[in-house]
Amino acid sequence: MRKFFSNPAVRETLRVIIAVSIALALGFLVTLFVSEDPFGAYKAFLLGPLSKFNRFGDWIEESITLILVGLSVAIAFRANMFSMGTEGQLLLGALVSGSIALFVPLPTILRIPLAIAAAMAAGFIWGWIPGYLKAHLDANEIVSTLMLNAIALKMYDYFLIFHIKAPDAGYNASDFFPVEGSLPSFIPNIPIFERAYALFSDKTNITIMVYVLIIAVIAAYYLIYRTPFGYKLRMVGANIKFARYGGIDTKKTMILVFAISGIFGGLAGAHLSMAIHTKLIANISVGMGFEGIVVAILAKINPLLIPITGLAYGYLRAGANVMERSSDMSREMIFVIQALIILFVTAERFLPTIQKRVEERKENNSHAEKIAPSDGGSHEV
Amino acid sequence: MKFDLVFKGIFSAMFLASIMRISTPLILPALGGLITELSGSINIALEGVMLTSAFTGVVVSAFTQNVWLGVLAGIIAGILFSALLAYFHLYLETNIILAGTALNIMATGGTIFLLYILTGDKGNSSSLASKMVPVVEIPFIKDIPVLGTVLSGHNIFVYAAIVLTFLTSVLLYNTKFGVHLRAVGENPTAATSLGIPVKKIKFTAILISGFLASLGGLNLSMAYLSIFQREMTAGRGFIALAAVYLGGRRPWGTFLAAILFGAADALSNQLGTLDIPSQWVQVIPYAITIIALVVYGIQRKAQIVEQTRRFQERELAKVNNNHTTT
Amino acid sequence: MALLVDMRNIVKVYSNGVVANNGVNFQIEKGEIHAIVGENGAGKTTLMKILYGLEQPTSGEIFIKGEKVEFKNPINAMKKGVGMVHQNFMQVPSFTVAENIVLGNEPTEHLFLDKKKSIEITEELSRRYGLFVEPAAVTETINVGMRQRIEILKILYLGVEILILDEPTAVLTPQETKDLFEAVRVLVEQGKTIIFITHKLREVKEISDRVTVMRNGKIMGTMQTSEATRGGLARMMVGREVFLDIKKTKMKRGNKKMVVKDLSYVSDTGRTMLRDVSFNLYSGEILGVAGVEGNGQTELVEVLTGLRIPAAGQATVGGGVVTGKTPREVRMAGVAHIPEDRLTNGLAVSASIDDNLIVDRFFNPPFRKGVTIDYEEIEKNGEEMIKEFGILTPNGQLPVSSLSGGNMQKVVVAREFSSEPKILVAAQPTRGIDVGATEFIREQLVQKRTDGAAILLISADLAEVMSLSDRIITMFEGEITGVFPDASTIEEDELGYYMLGIKRQSKKEMEALL
Repeated sequence: MRKFFSNPAVRETLRVIIAVSIALALGFLVTLFVSEDPFGAYKAFLLGPLSKFNRFGDWIEESITLILVGLSVAIAFRANMFSMGTEGQLLLGALVSGSIALFVPLPTILRIPLAIAAAMAAGFIWGWIPGYLKAHLDANEIVSTLMLNAIALKMYDYFLIFHIKAPDAGYNASDFFPVEGSLPSFIPNIPIFERAYALFSDKTNITIMVYVLIIAVIAAYYLIYRTPFGYKLRMVGANIKFARYGGIDTKKTMILVFAISGIFGGLAGAHLSMAIHTKLIANISVGMGFEGIVVAILAKINPLLIPITGLAYGYLRAGANVMERSSDMSREMIFVIQALIILFVTAERFLPTIQKRVEERKENNSHAEKIAPSDGGSHEV
Repeated sequence: MKFDLVFKGIFSAMFLASIMRISTPLILPALGGLITELSGSINIALEGVMLTSAFTGVVVSAFTQNVWLGVLAGIIAGILFSALLAYFHLYLETNIILAGTALNIMATGGTIFLLYILTGDKGNSSSLASKMVPVVEIPFIKDIPVLGTVLSGHNIFVYAAIVLTFLTSVLLYNTKFGVHLRAVGENPTAATSLGIPVKKIKFTAILISGFLASLGGLNLSMAYLSIFQREMTAGRGFIALAAVYLGGRRPWGTFLAAILFGAADALSNQLGTLDIPSQWVQVIPYAITIIALVVYGIQRKAQIVEQTRRFQERELAKVNNNHTTT
Repeated sequence: MALLVDMRNIVKVYSNGVVANNGVNFQIEKGEIHAIVGENGAGKTTLMKILYGLEQPTSGEIFIKGEKVEFKNPINAMKKGVGMVHQNFMQVPSFTVAENIVLGNEPTEHLFLDKKKSIEITEELSRRYGLFVEPAAVTETINVGMRQRIEILKILYLGVEILILDEPTAVLTPQETKDLFEAVRVLVEQGKTIIFITHKLREVKEISDRVTVMRNGKIMGTMQTSEATRGGLARMMVGREVFLDIKKTKMKRGNKKMVVKDLSYVSDTGRTMLRDVSFNLYSGEILGVAGVEGNGQTELVEVLTGLRIPAAGQATVGGGVVTGKTPREVRMAGVAHIPEDRLTNGLAVSASIDDNLIVDRFFNPPFRKGVTIDYEEIEKNGEEMIKEFGILTPNGQLPVSSLSGGNMQKVVVAREFSSEPKILVAAQPTRGIDVGATEFIREQLVQKRTDGAAILLISADLAEVMSLSDRIITMFEGEITGVFPDASTIEEDELGYYMLGIKRQSKKEMEALL
């Protein structure tokens, strides 16, 4: 029994489960006090996304964005680079893809891939910049990425307000993307898939981005674990001095890490603009970049686990949406729950505190008893 | 024609006064960021602190109909919020960026959530009769032509910002605590070897930054505006961090850097009437910060290379001398 | 004279089983300058760490002025008058000299710092003890000598009576050393007592009243310095108590593999760490470097392996220069490197054993296939290495952190050896590991040498150097002081003289043999 609990993987999972449970319990407590119908509200929250197809679609859509930003963050964090830049990459990705969707006169089959590719390129560039600054000038990547986020936001707003939005529009948003620039549903409208189409495509908004996502997750996994670059990334993250000693060009690796992380950020932006909103609006990013950090950390920066945490997180968000629409509770409550989950999961001393203390005491006792004979081994004294 | 007006507008006392007002909610959290930065922590939760205090101030002042109770409540809320960050980071060993991000998310969502519960409105607190802090008219100065407009007639937080910058400087450079704080930030091993309690000092630094940032938040909801709006901090907590770096991590430098950001904001408003997109001007301080990072990096590199070169030359000269004499 | 410090029967055993102090009795009289000498591993640093409160003895007692004391931390020790001047300065670089000296106990006036008083205190202390410093200078801009004086003044400010100096002249230029000794004499005149740890016998003769020699955790003897000779001290310090039975076939020296010419290196504090170092490495031969740590060996290794750039001189392999190049280029030239600190450079402890084994070759087949990495091959390689080098682990996918020290070193050795290097630079290859792993690695080194590699062996373990090497050079203060073409015919005392700079061969003598 004890062996089972001392397995680190088991402990980690337990810790996440306990943290989530505590957070959800606290959330329920709050609901009890605030809502007229706490049980109904919380039921809507916990089961909502599964109750109807469009809510289910909502869940998947939210999750796609979250998984993409999570991957973006994970790639950088895995190499020990604390890039906060996903937000900015996301904005530029949305801007670029939205512009192409709206204005480039190409047929769908060309326009959409171009938009997606452009979003990825924009993210790549916006990631490359802080990477270069860190590698060659040792510039603090937290400050540089935060600044670039702000600049990206200004660029986005500028183009949206002054060039993209219709001159007589009431508020800051573009027109809806034309058909040629909109992502088709993930199930094509052809005879073979009639039934599926009727079930899913009509009722949900899930687009072909879901396939792009699957490719992205697999690509991220392959990149990190199955390519020479991924090896370099992981070694730089594990011990940068070791990487250098072993011959790895750490500067080049650093820059590429930031840039590739940017690609995923840009992709997330493309999803936001072309799938979720199908237009460009002000405040399109709503702090998604930071939520990406949460998704990545909960998954222990493991790209294979990010889809899971992304879906879980997305579930919470979708559930909160349902709860808001069908009760008197506002969806923002989930932010508090999210924050609690993060805090408890990332507190290194949270659960292990008791176990650690027991272990430390055992070590101290055995230390005093041991007096080994001199064996002349080398030891720096 | 319009350009004329705008030009006059910029070089007017009103404009300078507006810079002061706009910069205040940047200066205050920036000072907080400076203190934590010098103690060795990056306080990425300034944003959350400001939201928390802004909200608490409005709510409490509305329910007690007393502006000072509101301010006090806002400060306490801000400090408690920071205490959470400090506790999770220093005693439960959470990475400070993660803890800070989590707390920011909690504050953003939490304030909207509570706002909705209290007012049924998710956008702002206009249904609450919250109070505003008083405006100060300085007796003689207010009658001086230009200076009067610039220096007098601001809300108390503006003056507080200036005074606190001064006090921060005194704290950091003229008190024992300040010296210990800077030592902890620069060389914690040295500090420990001399009995300086590193954790306690870092904790206190985070609490002080909470206090300062909460003033910034209160400024937003009880002076700059008279209501709480969702997400009203609009990234000021992060700009504050940038101001710390841009200002060379010193009190008056931070102050000036924050004013630079504020001035760009004010300027962009003015230029807006000229059909110059505000974003062009607003972008300037951010770009400057990055340029400053680049310049600093280049400087440091050159310095190291130069130092090594000089020493190597000196030593080789000595070696050569030895050779020729032996 | 009453004993100022009386350490009785001090035993210190570390958690890995190493006995650093084995029943040490150590006394200090008031007002003396007492030198403790010994090689690395002798136990002198540990003994002082115990006196200074940084470590606690496993058993034994300490009396200060007749009063029994227990120091849980350095602050306790300082309260009782014992202070240490560290090699790594405990200073805040951006503070002024005065601020660093009073750090922790700043003089205040009401609530505020009394900066004038800090400067006054600094000047007064400086004057009283003859230690010149500029109170208003910023610490990071001043030279090392003054920085050391700050450390001394700092503990004097706290009222210590006993000053422990840990290898104080290691970071100083000759002139600064002279100044330091002047200051030490003044300190004693003022009633202080000095203990200093060193391996430089010339300095022992110059400044100390008494000297204690330690070896292998025990005290070999304490005597008046006037009655000691450098040779006698060297003999007591350097000895082989452990007889290493290493079977070696006769050396068959081959071609020159690496030519090192006039290598010089200056640290960024301005100290010359390497001075005109020249030697050749031949295939089939182990060239051992004997010397006390801190005499340039670390810098030599790092310069030869691409981790540092020399100030002058170069090393060539097969005609191509390898100094001033990247680690990748050096490895491509056929140079492998067992680093002296495996945890810092040699391994990524959170990464898997398999991953650690291929850092120098992951981009080549069979590990790389086009744009992908073949983990099957990597795991296969891991399996083979684990078997071949006897690494104790259920499988290679576990992180290196799950291994014991000895097995960790085996991972490093496995990797570096398996790259079939022409030249192998091995720095402290058996430091801090168990007997079994040590034996194994030594055997492997000898095997590699017999197979034709050119090996440069650097070790603070003299027994190891003498048993494994075919040819030995001695280093002292960044220079080669002697070369001994046949390691089997030399006596350790003799080596000791050259290691400690007492004797030196002339350039001409060495030329042909290097």
